[in-house]
Amino acid sequence: MTLTGFIAKNALRNKRRLVLSVTSVAVSLFLLVALQVALRELTNPINDEGSSLRIIVRNKVSLAQPLPARQLQVLERIPGIAAITPFTFYGGLYKGDEKFTSFAQFAVDPARTLPLITDAKVPREQLEAWLADRTSCIVGKMTAERYGLKIGDRMQFTSQLYPADLEFKIVGIYEGTADDRNVFFHHKYLDESLGNPGTVGTWWVRAASIEEAPLVTARINQAFANSSAEVRAESERAFVLGFVSMWGNIQNLISGISVVVVFALLLVTVSTMSMAIRERFRELAILKAIGFRRRELFAFILAESFGLALLGGVLGVGGAYFLCNSLDIQKLSNGLFLLFEVTPRMVGFGFSVAALLGVLAAAAPMITVARTSVVEGLKTLD
Amino acid sequence: MFVRFMAAEAEEPIVQIRELFKVYQQGEINVTALNGISLDIARGEFLTLMGPSGSGKSTLLHIIAGVDRPSSGSCHVQGIDVTALNESELADWRNHNVGFVFQTFNLIPVLTAYENVELPLLLTRLSSGERRRQVQTALELVGLADRQHHLPRQLSGGQEQRVAIARALVTDPSLIVADEPTGNLDSHSAQDVLTILQSLSRSAGKTVIMVTHDPKAAAYGSRSVHLEKGELSN
Repeated sequence: MTLTGFIAKNALRNKRRLVLSVTSVAVSLFLLVALQVALRELTNPINDEGSSLRIIVRNKVSLAQPLPARQLQVLERIPGIAAITPFTFYGGLYKGDEKFTSFAQFAVDPARTLPLITDAKVPREQLEAWLADRTSCIVGKMTAERYGLKIGDRMQFTSQLYPADLEFKIVGIYEGTADDRNVFFHHKYLDESLGNPGTVGTWWVRAASIEEAPLVTARINQAFANSSAEVRAESERAFVLGFVSMWGNIQNLISGISVVVVFALLLVTVSTMSMAIRERFRELAILKAIGFRRRELFAFILAESFGLALLGGVLGVGGAYFLCNSLDIQKLSNGLFLLFEVTPRMVGFGFSVAALLGVLAAAAPMITVARTSVVEGLKTLD
Repeated sequence: MFVRFMAAEAEEPIVQIRELFKVYQQGEINVTALNGISLDIARGEFLTLMGPSGSGKSTLLHIIAGVDRPSSGSCHVQGIDVTALNESELADWRNHNVGFVFQTFNLIPVLTAYENVELPLLLTRLSSGERRRQVQTALELVGLADRQHHLPRQLSGGQEQRVAIARALVTDPSLIVADEPTGNLDSHSAQDVLTILQSLSRSAGKTVIMVTHDPKAAAYGSRSVHLEKGELSN
């Protein structure tokens, strides 16, 4: 027999408790990692080169307030702007969806949009078809696959924002962007359906270079200052984060839940270890009597506690990693989450929490063992 | 010269206790468990400590075995003042010099008889082969070589206590302390255990100190000491 074998036999003596404890640690760590994944998904927008160049211009009062279409002439004169398009969220409910459609539809100027979505891969003939037909649209590959759509099919939408229900003919399917779910269609088609109101939702702008992007943002804000429709221009990243913040302080909410999960987990593990050691108090006194030193007993307790927490970590964090990487989370979450990826940093975080739990859970029994003399321990025998 | 050395060794007591006091504080009351005990125990002696409950016999045994400390006085075992050792030194000293036998056996339930006996040897630097030899010898000495793979729950009370004796013997200590080792046994098993302890004293030269209430058990010893209210009564 080795000391490791002795520790393992001790840990396995109450199998039911071991299974329940490891399961509770595993489930909690799974939840913790899943929360971190969700937080990342919600608060960490795309940050590639194209995104760094893109600037969103919206009404300063509110995102829901439209902007005058005449602003285009002013914007076109601002130095440092490489491309610009109206960009209006249509908010349509796709035929067949009852309450929620998982992809967005945007009215854009197709000719002006192409320089803005340089990462989108669309065959040339499909682009030409889109430019030529005012009632046509291009659809993201994810949405096309999800609904089994193909070129030539028609899509019917009921808008939840505008008094105009639209039908588009699919002429292209794009892929390669960070979010291959959206539908893009002609702004003119929306304008005509609404009686040419002369408004747009937002402007999408592409700066000529990353260095110029902050200057362009400032110039746009300045250009419309003190006008009847003041604007707020901001980077795509800032815009998305601002959009997320409309859900409330989701970061604090998820962080708060994570803290509660870790705290509950700590209580469970401490309780389990305390019970395990209390049951064995007599034996620990015997071990002390036959020559085991305090530090060896500490090592036994720590190894057992650490082992329990780490096993829970392997199952919980490993389970989260396996599930997030093997399941189609986009489909399961009805399109709410795109990647739902467990990063190496999250795995490290999960195991760090497990290790910390192992150490903290061992502390209370170790203090008790340290404070109890051999005779006090032996007195519990009879 | 060898004879002279043996004679000198025989004359030197293995345990020398002088003016030993142990006072417990229970709330605001001081309880004197040992009241100025002085006692010598010779090497190879089988000493029985007798007395009524609360007379201090277990306390005296614990101090000799190095698991408790006196309030004052000295306790030398094999020339070492055990009251002067720190906790870590005491643990090491106990591992090499003292074997414990308890009333309730106190074997680790998840370990086999063999593993229970091997436990004190895990603290030594012996190889697994050497450990195996020592464990086998100890188990053979108590007549349980054929039960080595049994768990404690698969053994009778008498067999469990014999495994506990083997665990006490396995490090080859010079001192074996037994706290009412027959208290939980039937008369036949008690007799077996006492016979083993007696033979350890007589044949192997081990010093055995045993606490007991039973005069029949005490009769197996070579000397009996009575305690009464923390003092030696004879």
